[in-house]
Amino acid sequence: MSKLVVKNVTLNYANGNKSNTTALENINFSVSEGEFLSIIGPSGCGKSSILNLFTGLLSASEGEILLNGKAISGTGLDRGVVFQHYSLFPWMSAKKNISFALSQSFPSKSKKELTRIAEDYLGAMGLKGFEDKFPAELSGGMQQRVAIAKALAMDTELILMDEPFGAVDSKTRVVLQDKLLNMWDSGEQKKTVVFITHDIDEAIFLSDRIIVMSSGPGRVKREIAVNFARPRDRFSLTKNAEYAHLRNEIVSLFYDDLASKIGGEEVVL
Amino acid sequence: MKKFLRLADFIFIVFLILVLVLPSVVKAHSAYLAGLISITWVIFIGARIYNKSSEKVIVLGDALLVVYIFLLLWELATSKFAWLDKFLYPTPGVVIKMFIEDMPFLLKGLLSSSGLLAGGFGLALITAIPMGLYFGYKKRLKLAAKPFAKILGPIPPIVYIPYAIAVLPTFRAASIFIIFLGAFWPIFINTLNGVSDIDKKIMDSARMLNLNDRQMLLNVILPGSISAIMSGATIGLSFSFILLTSAEMIGATSGMGWHVKYFSDFADYPRVIVGILFIGIIVTIITFFFDKLEKYLLRWRKT
Ligand SMILES: Nc1ncnc2c1ncn2[C@@H]1O[C@H](COP(=O)(O)OP(=O)(O)OP(=O)(O)O)[C@@H](O)[C@H]1O
Ligand SMILES: [Mg+2]
Repeated sequence: MSKLVVKNVTLNYANGNKSNTTALENINFSVSEGEFLSIIGPSGCGKSSILNLFTGLLSASEGEILLNGKAISGTGLDRGVVFQHYSLFPWMSAKKNISFALSQSFPSKSKKELTRIAEDYLGAMGLKGFEDKFPAELSGGMQQRVAIAKALAMDTELILMDEPFGAVDSKTRVVLQDKLLNMWDSGEQKKTVVFITHDIDEAIFLSDRIIVMSSGPGRVKREIAVNFARPRDRFSLTKNAEYAHLRNEIVSLFYDDLASKIGGEEVVL
Repeated sequence: MKKFLRLADFIFIVFLILVLVLPSVVKAHSAYLAGLISITWVIFIGARIYNKSSEKVIVLGDALLVVYIFLLLWELATSKFAWLDKFLYPTPGVVIKMFIEDMPFLLKGLLSSSGLLAGGFGLALITAIPMGLYFGYKKRLKLAAKPFAKILGPIPPIVYIPYAIAVLPTFRAASIFIIFLGAFWPIFINTLNGVSDIDKKIMDSARMLNLNDRQMLLNVILPGSISAIMSGATIGLSFSFILLTSAEMIGATSGMGWHVKYFSDFADYPRVIVGILFIGIIVTIITFFFDKLEKYLLRWRKT
């Protein structure tokens, strides 16, 4: 069954009294239950906009979005989110940010238990010893990891992540990717993940399927299945001929878009 | 820095000698002045030993230097050479002596003023903050409240004083009401704006948690606007002081503002100066603790 269905969705941003920006135009795709789906595309093509439609913070101007077969109406605790700008509550410690969110998801659990879960997830993100720090006392990458820990700790069936490893160094990134995959297929029921990234290798390594978008206005350019067996090994994967082929395909889709844009508008050699 | 501190020490010693050795031409009680500067200097030396080369110690030294120079000029102009009219300008020693002797009386005035201040300012805090938070959070209420705040907020509350005294049954009730009005608007308006200024990204995060109104107000809106609330409260507090003392000068029979007005009427200028200094000290102490409170409440912010 499809976890998420995006049907003929168009999204306009109203810019005050000026003309509207069409961020997304006639988008169609679906995400199956338990699928790991990545969305990649140039900056400004509407990736975050799609994610915000899934969160319920935005609603589509046209078309509809179904979550578990029902139209999304507003936000819900059934979705764990990592925003592009992580946005923790600055007045709560790392631990409190998580346990506060958890107290909403699991109102029956005791405070002590929630704190323990928060500490566990922070530890798993390599943040042991930083539990009581305020966000302002943490680096960008650390804050982002707190946000990831929070989303994962909420243990939702659907996880929405907007460039979650953007502020993290490449070494930590590898560790976090493994942790994410681990968590994704370890539970009784596989979670569904929608993952936005700029990193083609990351998308291939993590995903069952990749949606490549083009900009101006945002459209789905291509859906690409990634059929490598799991668990995947990063190093042997990169030596695989099929991997190289897949990577080239995505790169050329990317450059297509860039080339046509630059050629059409900006370059006047 | 060392050199500078030595300069301050030098000035201190010269000052002390001048005060003690030069004969006074009027009854000046210069010993009180010498006592005061010696005590402050000992405290300063203590701070220097306890807390070497800290920035705070340097600031304290600078401040003391300014105070000493002012006191020295005052002492020279009154007690030593009597350049100034001795009826209008008491010597520092006389003022210090009177300050000490009148302390019980001053504290009684403080108690009376505190009641008014706590009543008016306290009432403003417990109404303006919750209202500002709730109105700021509910867009429609905010839009409805804004024009009222724009029109009523800027009226200087001092103009209400005579009318409030006429309308309300007691002077105390009138004072509390006026202080309340003066503090209410800055706190309310600042809180309202503070809520609107909360980062949209943080509000988005909060909305993802499906909080109810109470949780939203207590755990997100309140801490998110605490900085604006505190600056509103600081403005409200200084308005409160102005209104408190003004009201007391007009209609009270006790209190810090009354003290100044009452002794002016008797041309008892040493006591007037004592009253003014006392108000200054009290305001400084309250502001100090207010700043501490603000620092504590905003401890999570980047310094
Ligand atoms: N709140 C908004 N108001 C008006 N226009 C917006 C708003 N948010 C985004 N847009 C516009 O919508 C388009 C898509 O933005 P979006 O943030 O979804 O892009 P993105 O793919 O996430 O980019 P990036 O990779 O840089 O994060 C852009 O043209 C942007 O200018
Ligand atoms: Mg984005």
